[in-house]
Amino acid sequence: MGKNLPGYFGEFGGRYSPEILTEALEELESTYHKLKKSKKFKKELEYYLKNYVGRPSPLTYAERLTKLWGGARIWLKREDLNHTGAHKINNAIGQALIARFMGKKRIIAETGAGQHGLATATVGAMFGMETVVYMGAVDVERQNLNAKKIEMLGAKILPVTAGEATLKEATSEAMRDWALNVSTTHYIVGSAIGPHPFPMIVRDFQSFIGSEARSEFKKRNKKLPNAIVACVGGGSNSIGMFHAFLKDKQVAIYGAEAGGLGPKPGEHSATLTYGKTGFLHGTKTLIIQDEFGQIVPAHSVSAGLDYPGVGPEHAYLSQTGRVDYRMVTDEQALDSFLEVTRVEGIIPALETAHAFHVARDVAKDLGKKKDLVICLSGRGDKDVTEVLRLLGERK
Amino acid sequence: MSKIKSLFESGRFKSAFIPYFTLGDPNYNDSIEFGKTILDNGADILELGIPFSDPVADGPVIQRAAARSLKNRFSFDEIFRVTKAIHDHKPETPLVYLTYFNPIYHCGITKFLDRAKESGIVGLVIPDLPFDTEESETLFRELKVRDMDLIHLVTPASEKKRIQALSKTSSGFIYYVTSFGVTGERREFSVDLKERIKFLKDTIQLPICAGFGISTPDQANQISQYADGIIIGSAIQRVIEENGSDKTKTVTALADYISKIRASIS
Repeated sequence: MGKNLPGYFGEFGGRYSPEILTEALEELESTYHKLKKSKKFKKELEYYLKNYVGRPSPLTYAERLTKLWGGARIWLKREDLNHTGAHKINNAIGQALIARFMGKKRIIAETGAGQHGLATATVGAMFGMETVVYMGAVDVERQNLNAKKIEMLGAKILPVTAGEATLKEATSEAMRDWALNVSTTHYIVGSAIGPHPFPMIVRDFQSFIGSEARSEFKKRNKKLPNAIVACVGGGSNSIGMFHAFLKDKQVAIYGAEAGGLGPKPGEHSATLTYGKTGFLHGTKTLIIQDEFGQIVPAHSVSAGLDYPGVGPEHAYLSQTGRVDYRMVTDEQALDSFLEVTRVEGIIPALETAHAFHVARDVAKDLGKKKDLVICLSGRGDKDVTEVLRLLGERK
Repeated sequence: MSKIKSLFESGRFKSAFIPYFTLGDPNYNDSIEFGKTILDNGADILELGIPFSDPVADGPVIQRAAARSLKNRFSFDEIFRVTKAIHDHKPETPLVYLTYFNPIYHCGITKFLDRAKESGIVGLVIPDLPFDTEESETLFRELKVRDMDLIHLVTPASEKKRIQALSKTSSGFIYYVTSFGVTGERREFSVDLKERIKFLKDTIQLPICAGFGISTPDQANQISQYADGIIIGSAIQRVIEENGSDKTKTVTALADYISKIRASIS
């Protein structure tokens, strides 16, 4: 009991969800452990990742950004080139395969920016599974293109109007659906959050990002990079990127979280900077909360980072100091979005734009002849309308 | 002996009636009146909800109640003040809190328990704190010291091994969740509800009280034939939601509803 329970990263993690979900979580955990050892499952997963997702994703040398920033050489791990345009598909495929193995015919998901909803709807279509996506009503508006795509793929979108009507509320509603339909349904949690075993499973399915980046970089440069950077909301692309490098002490690791409009509660989603230990959506982690333990609404220009909690493994990595997490404001992210688009011909997701802002500072600090890899977690088509609106407000 | 244990051992009723409502909806002072009314009309144990911003085990009615409550300025001082006022009205009726773990953790477990006990609370129900966590063990230990109870939830999905393990950190009574899903009124219950409750009674040496979905006197009557208690939340909260802006009307409607349920399970 207690500390001997699985699923903890230091003091963070665990399983703090309603009792009705416990058996399902235990079934998921034991199934996953079984499948992890299964050559057949591994082969199947690799098949879909290669032939459907398009893995391995390339590692692009960003020549113009390197020149512009005047510091370390910049490399981009191109998760934007995956099918559906982001890293989310890696996890969606993996979890859909688990769901299929468990005989679940229905899958559900929560989504903020819509990328995880899109990925889930995509695998739902491909595997012929009934799919329901919970999305905050505010996010349905600001990420309308993804919402439309999800519906086009045959999934049902259920807009959530409670509270701030964003990712937090969508997550709560997906958990309620799962509690009601637990015997027929698998909940494909989209980030490295939630009760054990989700943070572990999501990390494992995203760890292809880091292991591919590590081996590709080593193959081309006969060494490891000096630093890596990724953005952190719930933290799935980042934990996937970081995991392969955690033991490489010579590689500095940076996370970029959403500083939003400023430091006041409700203005940001900077969980690792301002969060305190607490319990939300089934896990013990750092959470933005008030003096009474009520969760404070989060804010970010990027719907995918707009969440008041963070994956428990990130909370642990922050506490141990292995990862340096830094805040990036909405404005800074927007500037980086435009800069990368114009300099490299790549439109990054607004989430990823946060990582670029941190990367610019890190690249300058590292100086020339050093190497920095940025996880380009997704492409920014979904953000174009919102960015144009924000640029209109700037004028 | 805990107050809840002695109540069940008193043989004063065939099946206990355990109503629930959320404190602070629509405001804290009205909650005192609602609590008094519910006590006067036949609650054997009263569950008081401490609102939480993200109540994942609750359905829409209780979610809305928590949201309305949190529009008032939340403070533990207010929660304990209101609790004490309700307790002082009828000190012999056990009061328990139902809340999520984060507010308790944030307040500090010992500080929270000391103040809750001073206010008249004798037990806790925490839907997002499974028994097999370090925090649950700590809480159980601290509650025991204060002669208070930790009431765990058991669901239709809970397997025998887990139910047996759960009894080590459970006291007062078991909150049996009658159906899958979250709180909220339902028309029907699973056909094996009676068998499940009987199985639980044979497995755990604690009273088994059924909740989630019960709303009508007929349902309460039927389930009280084999459960040691009936827990009703959403239906009561709906009365408050529909009449809450008019305190007098709410008090009348609550008195009527509570007395009907109490009569149905006598």
